[in-house]
Amino acid sequence: MGNMKIKAKEKDGIVKAKVMAKHDMLTYDQAKKKGTEANFITHMTGKVNDTVVYDVSTSQFLSKNPLFKFKFKGKKGDKLEMTWVDLKGNTVTESKKIK
Amino acid sequence: MMNRRNFLGLGLAAVALAPMTLSAIDFRKEKPDAWTAKNVDDAIKALYGDVKVEESDKITVKTPKVASNGGAVPVTIKSDIDAKTVTLLQNVNPESTVATWTVPEGGIVDYSVKIKMKGSGKVIVVVEGKDGKFYTASNELEVALGGCEG
Repeated sequence: MGNMKIKAKEKDGIVKAKVMAKHDMLTYDQAKKKGTEANFITHMTGKVNDTVVYDVSTSQFLSKNPLFKFKFKGKKGDKLEMTWVDLKGNTVTESKKIK
Repeated sequence: MMNRRNFLGLGLAAVALAPMTLSAIDFRKEKPDAWTAKNVDDAIKALYGDVKVEESDKITVKTPKVASNGGAVPVTIKSDIDAKTVTLLQNVNPESTVATWTVPEGGIVDYSVKIKMKGSGKVIVVVEGKDGKFYTASNELEVALGGCEG
């Protein structure tokens, strides 16, 4: 039972990755209306064998349950490990083998 | 004023020394001002300093012409420029910076995300090249239903 849906497919040495993280991504405005604290993913990284292949710092302006698509050089069988951190300091790491 | 200049200088030096390919850079920690800047020019200044940004056709910014849902506007950024970082901004939300990618060694700049946009406006992409120059491209789009409310 994971938090993220990770899909990674390699073709001709290039891996196409699609990662969806489950997160409310509450902006400060939205949180105020709900009477809770803002919380959203602030940083997401992708690693293959300890090499960083994807790195993004994000804001409250990414959609709820954000979808990240990206490409990198890689090969089938390697494991893509995705990690995100949010404003409150929660962190989730999940990985999937590249097909 | 002086303190801020020094602070920025220190920040840049720290980034230069840090092994960029081994550890991902968390821009929220490195450049906190960038995330509270309320307009695009201030955000670029907070991220990169007082730099000259030139329009480039080597960056493709793809957005729908009309986004039916402002809560999830798909944006795709592609570029052939040998890039260090890529920043996505827009000019309609309360703060301007949306995301900053650090491009790993040999990385490919081909990113897609879905973002919130409060209304119709412009998305702007700034690419920090390895050559020390800054390039930009932008796209105007209409948003049918504003995205920050809900």
